[in-house]
Amino acid sequence: MRAWIEPLLAIGLALLLAGGLLLGLGADPLAALAALARGAFGSAYALESTLTRAVPLCLVGLAVALAFRAGVWNIGGEGQICVGALVAAALGTRALVGGPAAAQVSLVLLAGAAAGALWAGIAAWLRVSRGVSEVLSTILLNFIALLGVAFAVHGPLQEAAGAYPQSDALGAAARLPRLAGLERLHAAAPLALLLPGLAWLLLFRSAAGLRLRAVGLAPEAARYAGVSPPREVVRVLLISGGIAGLAGAVEIAGVTARLFEGLSGGLGFTAIAVALLARLHPLAVIPAALFFASLATGSGALQRAAHVPKVLVQVIEALVIFLSVGFALRRGGR
Amino acid sequence: MPSIALREIHKRFGETVALSGASLELASGEIHALLGENGAGKTTLVRTLCGLHPPDSGRIEIDGETVGIPSPRRAQALGIGLVHQHFMGVPALSVAENLVLGEPGGLALRPRSLRARAREMLERWELDVDPDTPARELSVGQLQRLEIARVLGGGVETLVLDEPTAVLAPSEVGELLALLERLRDEGRSLVLISHKLEEITAVCDRVSVLRGGRTVASREVAGLDAARLGEWMVGRALPPRGRPAGTTPGPLALRLEGVKAEGLRGIDLELHGGEVLALAGIDGNGQLPLEELLAGVRPLGAGELNVLRPPLALVSGDRQRTGLALDLSLAENLILPAAARPRQSGMFRYGLLRAGELRKAAGEAIERHDIRGGERALARQLSGGNQQKLCIARSLRARPGVLAVVNPTRGLDVRAAAAVRGELRALAREGTAVLLISTDLDEVLELGDRIAVLFRGALSVVDPARRNRERIGELMLGGE
Ligand SMILES: Nc1ncnc2c1ncn2[C@@H]1O[C@H](COP(=O)(O)OP(=O)(O)OP(=O)(O)O)[C@@H](O)[C@H]1O
Ligand SMILES: [Mg+2]
Repeated sequence: MRAWIEPLLAIGLALLLAGGLLLGLGADPLAALAALARGAFGSAYALESTLTRAVPLCLVGLAVALAFRAGVWNIGGEGQICVGALVAAALGTRALVGGPAAAQVSLVLLAGAAAGALWAGIAAWLRVSRGVSEVLSTILLNFIALLGVAFAVHGPLQEAAGAYPQSDALGAAARLPRLAGLERLHAAAPLALLLPGLAWLLLFRSAAGLRLRAVGLAPEAARYAGVSPPREVVRVLLISGGIAGLAGAVEIAGVTARLFEGLSGGLGFTAIAVALLARLHPLAVIPAALFFASLATGSGALQRAAHVPKVLVQVIEALVIFLSVGFALRRGGR
Repeated sequence: MPSIALREIHKRFGETVALSGASLELASGEIHALLGENGAGKTTLVRTLCGLHPPDSGRIEIDGETVGIPSPRRAQALGIGLVHQHFMGVPALSVAENLVLGEPGGLALRPRSLRARAREMLERWELDVDPDTPARELSVGQLQRLEIARVLGGGVETLVLDEPTAVLAPSEVGELLALLERLRDEGRSLVLISHKLEEITAVCDRVSVLRGGRTVASREVAGLDAARLGEWMVGRALPPRGRPAGTTPGPLALRLEGVKAEGLRGIDLELHGGEVLALAGIDGNGQLPLEELLAGVRPLGAGELNVLRPPLALVSGDRQRTGLALDLSLAENLILPAAARPRQSGMFRYGLLRAGELRKAAGEAIERHDIRGGERALARQLSGGNQQKLCIARSLRARPGVLAVVNPTRGLDVRAAAAVRGELRALAREGTAVLLISTDLDEVLELGDRIAVLFRGALSVVDPARRNRERIGELMLGGE
């Protein structure tokens, strides 16, 4: 079976099952699908919203895929996004960086990436020196990061007006400009195409990528060949966390302009679904992110136009994840 | 008793044609040997018989009637069972639990009746172990016997064994062959895949030869000795088994002084360039710790290990676990050690792969070691013997000053095994220091300029004046 058939099959089956569910509820599944599609792609604005939403999904999905390839279960995308966003907001609102706009916004983004990397680095250190499973540590670090954001927006970073638990808006120079002629899509969006390409090069055309995949596929054989699995684990967690942190900073600098609670909104977890649907292939992460982004932006129209509750979208997401994992298990079982 | 015939079986895996017109006629009450080079299709052929992958075309007949065997369950219902080379049970379960694993409701038996059933089966198949022992505590030979008992437990009349002796110590091989004869004498039919011609002439009735996916010949074994069988199989005389190169040793290349680690009780050895030092011994007497020490994955407890003529390369004794990453391609496996040290290898520029270099390296290795498989084939898709050749090809890429090899010809066909031994000898002649760790006594005698025996984690050197099978056998069992 060709590699892209399984994901398409998973999506198709999930839509079919969701359609069956709608039929059972007495709704028209085709109308619902049409409403969903219109909501996601039906106008220039809808399309732009979908693309804007896809950017962080793509980045964090890539982060997750890279780590999973090395057999490192980074479940901490959510937390890494949060610290990336937190640091970006701190720098951007306090005008802690100066200089021309391009330099300011670059610094904000880089700082976010560094924060994400460091945050994931804690999990790496725990695993390598203490043998703590990264599954556990990254999940726990998620809670800490979420609480950190909550503390910041109620305390030190709260807006000067003091009305809402949110930060001030970033200074204009620290914000990402829109792409030429567009309303929403920001200048960092092309990163969602560029980074998967770079990741592909890394994974399949470099010494580091070969080591990383070997550690994920056959740690014992990798060790015998002279590769140090702990070193690769640390390296891939830093990269993975860095990309997720960057995504957080991009959201602040390019979309919300402010830090608030719930900023990541489960993005870190949807990203895991993106990576699984893409079968951990760095380029396939792009269409997979688009798919999940279109579900998210289309769900509003679904509710309004077809009178189907928004949660149906979550049902579809869950089905796609189950089916992707199911296919993967079937493949592994043979 | 049924007779079974496989006729004109074809099977492809993607591009690879594994079988193209293979057949096998198995009369009832015989031991039928299946011979052939690595990658000839032996495993694939018996797997079709056992329902593990149905053929693309061809017929399977039982007593003249065509049957379909789409699944292992169907094979089992037809009384056909397969003993894999590796233990397929659950290591954490007890011997008794493993025995009833495949039976409906087997694990629901009460402990007492479970133990009684197990004891009966164990006695029947002469396996002298406590039914309560966890399977992981058994030796390889015992595990295999357990596997056979497990498969036979299901009422099997036709038993297929895929290279069962490759992992056994010499004494265990004798026991296994005796068991096979007993099974035949009880009326079962057996298919035995093996690269060891002596085993075939010892117990088999008929032999069929596969070449390139086709059955090219089939005949009675009676009246053949190993040499004649080999000749008949290859179509010409096999080169005689060689003798140690006998070169004068060069400078010191590897020294171990009082080396202790988990499983090793103090090893002293000196290895010089240009010589082969062979370490004989039954599996489990320190081979694995020594191998891991040399691979750098087990910490040195005490003593000193010095490589005086680096680099040291190792061909591990377990190609599927530590030798290869099975889900990476042939070419990727070949350059994995280079990726661990990208700067010195010339295979990467700025950390990026040089595609031309890779293709050249893979082409050379495939050609020089006669590996049957393309550079993009996954290591998993190579036949066992070809996986082994890939491991050897990889270890030589670094131009090692010291080459340590563990059971280097395990699973290789006669010709490939001879080629590997020839290669080791040639390397020694060129000045490489070769450390051979092998459980195969013939191989040790054939290659070792000097011989020592590993027993319970310690070495005893074999006096050149008493260099013979009997003496080495004694030392292997801990004799003085
Ligand atoms: N799952 C698979 N996918 C692709 N190719 C395969 C697969 N299994 C076997 N092959 C190919 O089919 C051919 C026959 O393999 P097979 O394992 O039957 O050989 P064999 O005679 O058992 O060899 P050996 O003595 O080395 O065990 C080989 O070329 C092998 O690479
Ligand atoms: Mg085989």
